[in-house]
Amino acid sequence: MKTGNGSHEVRIGFYICHCGHNIAAMVDCPEVARYVEGLPGVALSRDYKYMCSDPGQELIQKDIREFELNRVVVASCSPLLHEHTFRSATQAGGLNPFFFHMVNIREHDAWVHTDRQEATAKAKALARAAIARVAHHSALEVKKVPIHPDVLVVGGGIAGIHSALTLANAGKKVYLVEREPSIGGHMARFDKTFPTLDCAACILTPKMSQVGTHPNITLLTYSQVEGVAGYVGNYKVKIRRKARFIDEDKCTGCQQCAERCPVQYKSYPCLPGAGGNGTGHGLPLEPELEPGLKTIVDRALDMHQPVQAPLNSVMQELTSADRRSPSREATRAPLISVLQDINRDVGYLPEPALRYVSRRTQVPLVSVYHVATFYKAFSLQPRGQHVIRVCQGTACHVRGAGRVLEAIKGQLQIEPGQTTQDRKFTLETVNCLGTCALAPVVTIDSNYSGNVTASKVKQILKPYA
Amino acid sequence: MATKLTSCGELDAYRKTLCAKHDPNRTCITVCGGTGCRACRGLDVAESFRQVIRDQALEGKVDLRVTGCLGFCEKGPVVTIRPKGLIYVKTTPQDAKEVVEKTVLRGQDVERLFLKDPQTGKRQRTREEIPFYKNQMPLIFGANFELDPQNIDDYIRLGGYTALAKALAAMKPEEVIEAVSRSGLRGRGGAGFPAGVKWASCRKAEGNGKYIVCNADEGDPGAYANRSLMEGNPHSVVEGMIIGSFAIGAHEGFIYVRTEYPLAVELMYKAIADARALGLLGRNILGSGHSLDLEINRGGGAFVCGESTALMASIEGRPGEPRAKHVHMVERGLWDRPTVLNNVETWSNVPLIINRGPEWFTTIGTGNVKDSPWGGSKGTKIFSLVGKVNNTGLVEVPMGTTLRKIIYDIGGGIKDGKKFKGVQTGGPSGGILGERHLDLPIDYDQLVEVGSMMGSGGMIVMDEDNCMVDFARFFLAFLEDESCGKCTPCREGVTQMRQLLEQIGAGKATLAHLDLLKDLAEVVQEASLCQLGATAPNPVLTTLNYFREEYEAHIRDGKCPAGVCKALVSYHIDPEKCTGCTLCARNCPGGAVQGEKKQPHRIILEKCSKCGICYDACKFDAVVRN
Repeated sequence: MKTGNGSHEVRIGFYICHCGHNIAAMVDCPEVARYVEGLPGVALSRDYKYMCSDPGQELIQKDIREFELNRVVVASCSPLLHEHTFRSATQAGGLNPFFFHMVNIREHDAWVHTDRQEATAKAKALARAAIARVAHHSALEVKKVPIHPDVLVVGGGIAGIHSALTLANAGKKVYLVEREPSIGGHMARFDKTFPTLDCAACILTPKMSQVGTHPNITLLTYSQVEGVAGYVGNYKVKIRRKARFIDEDKCTGCQQCAERCPVQYKSYPCLPGAGGNGTGHGLPLEPELEPGLKTIVDRALDMHQPVQAPLNSVMQELTSADRRSPSREATRAPLISVLQDINRDVGYLPEPALRYVSRRTQVPLVSVYHVATFYKAFSLQPRGQHVIRVCQGTACHVRGAGRVLEAIKGQLQIEPGQTTQDRKFTLETVNCLGTCALAPVVTIDSNYSGNVTASKVKQILKPYA
Repeated sequence: MATKLTSCGELDAYRKTLCAKHDPNRTCITVCGGTGCRACRGLDVAESFRQVIRDQALEGKVDLRVTGCLGFCEKGPVVTIRPKGLIYVKTTPQDAKEVVEKTVLRGQDVERLFLKDPQTGKRQRTREEIPFYKNQMPLIFGANFELDPQNIDDYIRLGGYTALAKALAAMKPEEVIEAVSRSGLRGRGGAGFPAGVKWASCRKAEGNGKYIVCNADEGDPGAYANRSLMEGNPHSVVEGMIIGSFAIGAHEGFIYVRTEYPLAVELMYKAIADARALGLLGRNILGSGHSLDLEINRGGGAFVCGESTALMASIEGRPGEPRAKHVHMVERGLWDRPTVLNNVETWSNVPLIINRGPEWFTTIGTGNVKDSPWGGSKGTKIFSLVGKVNNTGLVEVPMGTTLRKIIYDIGGGIKDGKKFKGVQTGGPSGGILGERHLDLPIDYDQLVEVGSMMGSGGMIVMDEDNCMVDFARFFLAFLEDESCGKCTPCREGVTQMRQLLEQIGAGKATLAHLDLLKDLAEVVQEASLCQLGATAPNPVLTTLNYFREEYEAHIRDGKCPAGVCKALVSYHIDPEKCTGCTLCARNCPGGAVQGEKKQPHRIILEKCSKCGICYDACKFDAVVRN
């Protein structure tokens, strides 16, 4: 058989390793060796117990010299383990190491078969392929190329942070580029991780802190990669440092400047519909509300003005010298009253309204949501034309409120908290309406019905149908 | 209404002119306008009377007054005719004409509208004859009969704001606190902390800017005494708060009313506006130099906001999450300032105590408060008696009255002739007491001793058809829902207890579960951050103690003796009794009843959701539950 370029004859040395019992238990190694002996280009074919051992390696060297081999194939374990070993042996024997080829008949064959015949047949096939291939190998030289050892990590989320730390701890100098003003990414905005329900911040923040202080890491936040040139090991990357107007060396993070700045630009991009997708393009100062809704929300806000505490002038006179917890008292946004009015007039709390309220009252949106979701009186979903409330207080329970609820559920085909398809009715349960003597009690809008039984449900609902 | 009153003397003179104008002998028709009677068309009844008075040209000769709750909610709408004091019950708009023509114009009774003694059949015409009323001591609640809650003049005419005048003119703030302390008044919100002690601590606390707060959240399901007080006599609360503010040195106050009480909110707003207009609120009240302004905050539907620290968080505009109380509210409360928070009923008691003196107050109730206000329970308490009694409604009795007297003498015994099983006091934080406790004199300490508590006065009576296991589960489900989630023992512990009870109710438990339940209950009691969690195990522990046989029946025999727990009951139709009237089939929400008209019906067990509607509906006792 000729070499790939046709220049001369190949003389292949083939070795099949027993690997003790690992291969030999399933593959008939002598049989494979015999088979390969007959293939074209094969100058010698051996089977041996442990090819990776010293004697095994010396065998390759000896055979190359003695039999003038110009190609070597070893059929044994994974190249991950011993490709290097056998390449070195080949080189030591006087051949270019890349004239060596290794084929895996352990992990790919012996270890995954239970039938000796099939395993042996596969080993033969693998060996045949290797023999055919090795003829085409060319001599390769190992070249040394100067590279820049520093690493650029693009993206300062948890993946980037962790990679940067691993590399920096291994002694590399790392540049970590992040386009947002802070590293942390999405994980910084999550509460828990899946599936362990670990606290996301508790995992993330120590790493963030390490990144900030690591001597090997240069942190480039609010910066964006603009161009990449060069090649592996020698990249030239252009990074735009976006204008912060802050001297980062002097800044202590006291946030006084942020508190005083009259421009509120960035929103909370993690909430749906925010429009902010982390690109730094926040929402306009006052979110647009459609006129009808705006009238209602403005009215609620004007009715319950945030006031400088204390409320009345008498208190102000007496207590100006006696201030405690100034930040808590400073702006008393009667948030709950505002939300109650909106909930009453609109029927629920639409998200744009909540954003608007957050802007006007200077209460962070997340706090507005905290309040809106804590109190049961508020609904974040549109409700039906009529709200049916079934009291589930003790007295009503004792007198059979459960059955009344079943009857209403049965008639409207919805569960508590849901609204009918035609948007006519929303069904809610209430923990005590305070009309216990008339238990069970059901209200529809502001109309009370007492002593309700399952059979009366139909008549109660009729006028609203 | 007059212009601003600028001195106690002017208030006194104003009262005298109101009394002079009032003719006690003129006929006055009062119609109960409390929420309960409104739900039974009470306002339509009032309107009907108004119409008849107009038609008969009786305006100016006969008064019509819409009052707040008169307490006898079972028999509403309640109408009283004065000066005779006749009580007509379950009136309808159609009755107005007859009542006016017969009773008002001709002095004749409309017999059918009177209550009837269930044993003798004799008619009961006045409060003195009606056992429900006769056996009460309506010191606070009685005023509801006399006044229109929207009219401050009625309140003043009856002596309202005289206590305030006395306090401002003749007493020092410390003397007011002393009087309240000596009276032994303890918080009517549930825990029974002595009001005088609270006020004294707040007065001593550092800082000029103090707050006074009224807890009108009344979250306990089954309790509505506070609501009725606000709807019936809002000024009594306002007066009490002004006196309290004078005593501790506060100039700003809040009334936190739950959002489920829209009428109470409306009436409190009006009362405050009227008081302000007369100079009873605002700067320099009655020329005394003391100033106070009151604001109303509505709740957001969270039970936990009845807890004082959570309530204050809510007023501050934050979610109602409690905080640990190692620093008390009287030192750092609302916005970290010293704050006194008291319940609606507590505030209503204050004017009485100031006017009639603390010694008088100590003659009512139990124990001895000479040496310490903790030594007894003084005064009266308004209970909402509801559930399986004949006469449901609001009941005011002296502390120390027995359960038996309330349930049987006042309440008229168990409805439909069933057997008494238990009574729940104190809301979800209280416990369930059994037959052995019927002669227990009710006061703060006795109730705590047996594992329950007074709470805001809810008293729910249960009969043989109520299951104690289901009840305990019901309360835990309620508390689980209302838990703010801040501390682990409550958030997780209450959930686990509820799940254990569900297992017991489903017949899937063993006796070992009862031990686990008890252990868990003890941990939740000890480790919770606020009283919601700490008292959550009370329903469980009391039912385990007093109704253990019922738990064991569920576990050992797989039976629910009361026939409530769905997994352990099944419904069948007795073909012998069934007439085929189809009433059950028509009412079944799941379509589980089959049968032809006039033919015996059948319940398809696979479809049956055990809701019990058919059992209630059947008029022939043909639906059998076992």
